[in-house]
Order: sequence, then structure tokens, then C-alpha cells
Amino acid sequence: MEVKITEQDKTLVAQLAGRLDTAVSQEVSAQLQPLVDNADRTLILDCKDLEYISSSGLRIFLTIRKAAAAKGGKVIVKDISTEIRQVFMMTGFLNLFEVVSSAE
Amino acid sequence: MAKKSFFKKHSEALKRATLQGLMIVVVSVVTLEATSLLQYYFSSRSITEEANRRAEGHLKATELQILSVTDQVETAVRNTLWSVQHQTGKPDSLAAITSRMVSQNNVIYGSAVALIDKDIAPYSFRNGEEVSLSTLATQEYDYRSQEWFCKPLELGGGYWSEPYYDEGGGGVIMTTYSVPVMVKGKPVAVFTADVSLDWLTELVGKVKVYPNTYNFMISRSGRIMVSPAETLVMRHSIQEVAQKSDGSEVFAGVGEAMLSGQAGDTQLKYKGKMLRVFFDTISRTGWSMSIIIPEDEIYGESKRVGFVVLLLQILGVALLIVILYSTVKNQRALKLASDSKTRIEGELQAASDIQSSMLPKTFPPFPSRDDIDMAAAIVPAKEVGGDLYDFYIRDEKLFYCIGDVSGKGVPASLFMAVTRSLFRSVSNHEHSPAKIVTTMNDSLSESNDASMFVTFFCGVLDMKTGHMVYCNAGHNAPIALTDRIGELPVDSNIPLGIMPGFAFTEQEADIRYDDAIFLYTDGVTEAENIHHELFGEERMIKVLHTRRSASEQMACVADAVREFRGEAAQSDDITVLFIHYLGKDESGDNVLRINFDNDISQIPRLEGFIEEVREATGIDAGLAMSLNLALEEAVTNVMMYAYPEGSSGSVNLKAILREECVEFVLWDKGIPFDPTAAPEADTTLGVEERAIGGLGIHLVRNIMDSISYENKNGMNILTMIKNIK
Repeated sequence: MEVKITEQDKTLVAQLAGRLDTAVSQEVSAQLQPLVDNADRTLILDCKDLEYISSSGLRIFLTIRKAAAAKGGKVIVKDISTEIRQVFMMTGFLNLFEVVSSAE
Repeated sequence: MAKKSFFKKHSEALKRATLQGLMIVVVSVVTLEATSLLQYYFSSRSITEEANRRAEGHLKATELQILSVTDQVETAVRNTLWSVQHQTGKPDSLAAITSRMVSQNNVIYGSAVALIDKDIAPYSFRNGEEVSLSTLATQEYDYRSQEWFCKPLELGGGYWSEPYYDEGGGGVIMTTYSVPVMVKGKPVAVFTADVSLDWLTELVGKVKVYPNTYNFMISRSGRIMVSPAETLVMRHSIQEVAQKSDGSEVFAGVGEAMLSGQAGDTQLKYKGKMLRVFFDTISRTGWSMSIIIPEDEIYGESKRVGFVVLLLQILGVALLIVILYSTVKNQRALKLASDSKTRIEGELQAASDIQSSMLPKTFPPFPSRDDIDMAAAIVPAKEVGGDLYDFYIRDEKLFYCIGDVSGKGVPASLFMAVTRSLFRSVSNHEHSPAKIVTTMNDSLSESNDASMFVTFFCGVLDMKTGHMVYCNAGHNAPIALTDRIGELPVDSNIPLGIMPGFAFTEQEADIRYDDAIFLYTDGVTEAENIHHELFGEERMIKVLHTRRSASEQMACVADAVREFRGEAAQSDDITVLFIHYLGKDESGDNVLRINFDNDISQIPRLEGFIEEVREATGIDAGLAMSLNLALEEAVTNVMMYAYPEGSSGSVNLKAILREECVEFVLWDKGIPFDPTAAPEADTTLGVEERAIGGLGIHLVRNIMDSISYENKNGMNILTMIKNIK
């Protein structure tokens, strides 16, 4: 699991690659802390290379989303796979996040 | 260190005991001696008083006897005096009077009337049977100058003369009583009566206050009249004796006291011996009598008694010391005995500990296996015994055994240890119980000098098929818990260690899922209560009727035995081995397994497991990922809730692959936890309302087609089914 955060015009982009399972969730959570800290801005979770996410990963997403809601920021989930989209569907996350595709 | 402080303690206790013993001896001796001294003091006082009484009594009695003689003489003289007064002028008559005096009074030896004016002094005296007549008026004698003549005239009354030795009168000691004869107020003559004092010697001499007393009698002037030393009599005075004696002053003192006419008693030392002197003066004659008693005589008896008492006391004290010493020694011996008993018991305990430490003790023994639930225990009796059990899994086969060595104590324990290690080594390369047992028997019989034997049951259970091969060597038939409960049929083989070369036979049985084998030693069935009733197989089977997990089953049997036994002592080891078979899924479908330790870092391993499932079933990648997700959530749940943080534990997962579905069974032996009881997560809520947690089980429910939880045989079992067709 790799996490890479970049800043583009006050927008924070976190590129997630690999499997976000319980084993790595704590580490990833720490790595994504800058997004929680800057939740007043636009935050992009780039999931183009995210292969897998479990509930612990979803929990991190939700934490960021809650922070943004509190600080007036915005969270965009970008390029999720079909499988993860299914998970988002199952968990109602599609209603909570602005899910975009770069193809669109 | 412990040994040192033990000896120190020991010697202190001994010192204390010795000190106590000494105290007892000292107190006893002091008490005894104090009592004896008091007794001695009082008794010697009473002895002194008794001696005084006796001496004084004798003195008085002797005095009275002497007085009776002198009185007799004086009376005779007085009564005759009248005749003399009237016959002074007639010398012949006077001679007749004197003659009569002698013949009529036995005590009177001689009698005379000596005239003052004329030289006439007729004297009659005893001469054998006759009474002879003589005259004192001789030129040589000059009676007028004699004491007996002068003193009465001088005193004007009766006078007892000093004793004298009468040469002419037969050589006897004499004394003379003389009275003046008055005619018309004028003395005209002196009338005398001589008394022989040889009776006095006898009288005084025979006074024996104590066996060895010495009696003296001295005259007014101190002349010795009676003495045990006859050479002194009349020849010496008390004063002369006093000068010659060692204790001259004392003698002189006594003599003085005696001569002064006193009565009393005194002590003196003569020739190194203490003497007690009692004395009294006889009135009239002025004689003084003394009784000399050596103090040895007075106190001799009490001293002898005292000596005997002292001897008895010494003997008693010696006896006391001997008794105390032997008591202390006995206590020490007793303590040593109890010490060595404690030591032996300690060693036996150690032997027992070693014995039990060799047996598998960790339960559940195979935490990662879902196909077996086992429990075993030895409840040791007070005395170390020779029960054993053992089991292990090799090549997917459970090798297990139970045994009971004949006898008790260290030999049994050692024999048990040998048996157990033989089982391990022989079964390590042999699958057939009969061969295992036969080899063990040959080995045990060979080196069995003590003629010990062990009843033994050995089984090999194929974990995959439930096929069991077993061999019973004289042990109690195990109880099989299948559709029914009853003894496993066993051949009658002999116990191990008796006959080398014996060919043991083995039997076979098939057990199915949820069947159990209960193995036990006769410590269970032969447990006795205080009424000497046996627990018996019937009671044991009754307990087993209720199906429980292995550990619970074992605890229930142990409790039932303990309850039945009550106050009675446990006489034998109680050993049970409970095997609950949970393998061989009846479907016969393909099963895939994966086990995790309680550690979330192992979660990624699920991916490989899912890959296996995917390959075996041909499901697509999307479903595989969903299953992966669901299983991760389920496994994480167990790791989060069944095992407290930091504790170790096993999380086991198997996938039963069927035609139309995959059944995932997840089980653990942690804290009972039912994930299906968690409330349904509401996925319709907005960002603010959505809870962070609760997503996991929601995902499981969504992904799986059915999900069920049960807690069985001490395990959390979560069964999840996913339809694949």
C-alpha cells in the first residue's frame, strides 16, 4: 500500500495504490492525516491504483469526509474500480462522496 | 541456604528443649532440697527436744532412785537416833544399836556411834553374811578429825560425806551419813551409817538414754564417783579430767556447772566428736550426775534417714534427667523422622511434578485444529502414583494412550515415565497400535526386575477419516460416546511388562463427527466414599450422558468423583482423557483451511486463501474480492473482540467447497462473541450521522448469502455461506 500526497492549487491530492486492508489501515490513516488537517480545502482521493479496500479503509475515508463537512471543505473520490464501487454501494458511501471518474 | 536455616532452626529448637529440661531439673532439685532442709530443721529440732526430754527423764529417774536409797538410810538413822540418845552412856548398848542398824538395813554397810567426850566409837559393819563389831577409836584413825565427825557437828544436822574408798571395809566406795546426837541440847556423839556405793555404779551406769551414752557422777567436790572409765573413779576429780582432756575448758565449764548444783545441758567437743552433756544435782548428797551423749547418737538416726533421703533424691534427680534426656532425644528423633518424612514427601511431590510435566498439559492442545477437542488430567493422590496419558498428532493421525502402573510411589512413577517415553519413541515410527504395544511390552518386560506392570490402552485416530485403530493391554475399556454411550469393545490382552513376546491384538472402529472417546483409569470407578462404596462405571457414564466440551466433560467427571468421595481420602490417581472428534465433514466436499494468530498483520494472508478458493471454484475476481472483504471483516472481528488485546489465540477458517456454494466456517476459542447480534448499520444516513464503526459486519451480511453464529464445544463458530451458482 502506497500513499502519495501532492498539492495542486490549494487542492490536496492523495494517490492511493495497492490494498487498503485492516493490516495497513492504521499506517494509512496516519499518512492521510494532512487531509484531515486541511479539510477546509478540496481533497482528492485518487483511487486509480487502489485494488482493495476494507471497512477499516472506508473508515479513514469517512473520517476525512466528516472533517471536510465540519470545516467546509470538499472530498472527491476519483477513479474507483468496479469492485470498490460495489463496496461503496453496499455501504452507502456513494451517497456520501463525490465520486468522479477521470474518463468523464 | 534452606538447608542451613533448617538446621539452625532445628538446633535452636533442640537448645530450647534442653534448656527447658535443665530448668525442670534445677527447679526440682531446689524444691526437693528446700523441702528436705525444712524437714531436716524441724525434725532435728524435735530430735533435740526428744533427746532433752529423754536425758532429763533419766536424770530425774536416777535421782529419785538415789534419793530412795538415801531416804531409806536417813530414815533408818533418824529412827534409831532416839535409842542412841538414851544409850550414850552405855558403850555395849551402842554397839548393839550399830549392829542392829546394819543387820536390819540392807543398804547400810556399816554404822558407828562416836562419842565426843570419850574415846568410844563402836562400829558395826557387814562382813559377808555376818555383822562384825569394831571400834573407830584407834590411835591411827583419830575419828574426831574425820569429816563425817566434824561436819554434822559443825552444821548441827545430817551430813552426807564425800564418797571415799574404804580400804578396810572390803575396798568399796562408800559414803557416810552422819548426824549429831544431841542430849539436852548438847551434842554428845555422832551417829553414822555407811552406805556402799557399788549399787550406785550399777544404777547410774545402766542409764542408757542412747546406746552409747556415758554417765558420770561426781561428788560435791568434783570427785568422780561413777564413770565409764573405771580407772578414774575415786582417784580423780572432774577438774583433773578437765585439765587432761582436749576440750579442757569445756570440761571445766561443765564441771563447774555441775558443781554449782545446777541442772542443765551443754555441748562440748571431745576427741573431735560433739557431745551433749545433760546434768543435774541430787539434793541432800550434793552429788551431781551427768549424761554425756555423742551427737552422733542423737542425730545419727535422723542423719541416716537424711542420708537415705538424699540418696533417694539424687536417684530421683538422676531418673528425672534420664527421662528428660530421653524425651528430648525422642522429640529430636521424632522431629528428624518427621523431617525426613517431609523430605521424602517433597521428593515424591517433585517426582510427581516431573511425571506430570512430561505429559501434555496445555489445553486445548491443538488450538488451530477444529477437528478435535481434547482434555486430559491426572488428579494425583497423596502418594505419587503411576498413571499416565499422552497424545500427539503425526501425519494427521492422533496417537493417544492411557495407562496405570501397578503399585504406587517412586518405583511406579519411574515405571510410568519409562512407559511414556517408550510410547513416544515407538509410536514415532509405527502406526499400528498392536505393534507399538508389542514393542513396548517386550522392552518393558526385558528390564522389569521389580515385576511391575502397566495396564495400557493405545489408539491411533485418523483425523481425516475418523478411522480408529486401537490396542488394549489390560486397561479399562474406554467409553465410546457415539449415537449411544458404552464401552469400546476390547480384546483381552495382558498388561505390559509381564510376558515378553506376547502378541497383542488390535481392533478397529470408525467414529464420526461429534463422537467422543472417554479414557480413564480405575481411580475414577474405584473412588471410594466413606461407606466404602465405589463410584463405579454406572455413575461415570451418567455424567458423560450430557454432551459438553472436552474440558467441561472432564471437570464434570472430576467434580462428580470428588462429590461422591466426600470426606474419604483419595486413594489412587484419577486420570481421564477425553477425545471429542469434530473432523471428517460428512459432506465429503473439498475443504480449504487457513489459520491465523491473533494478529491483524496476518490479514493479507487471506488474499492467498481466497485465491485458492477462486481457483478451486472458478469464481470471478470481483466475487473473490467481495469474499476477501467479508472474510477480512469477520476475521478482524474475532481478533478485535474474542481475544483481549495482547493475548495470543488462534483464528481458524475453513472453506467447504460445494457444488453450488462455498461454506466458510470461522472458529476460535476466545471469549464468546456473536457478531450477528450487532445492530444493522444504517447506510442511508448523512455524513454527520454516520457512525465510524459497524461497517464490517454490514459488509459480511451484504456479501454473504447466509450467516450464522453458534458457541459450541468452547468455540465461537461463525458459518458464512456464499452461493456461487
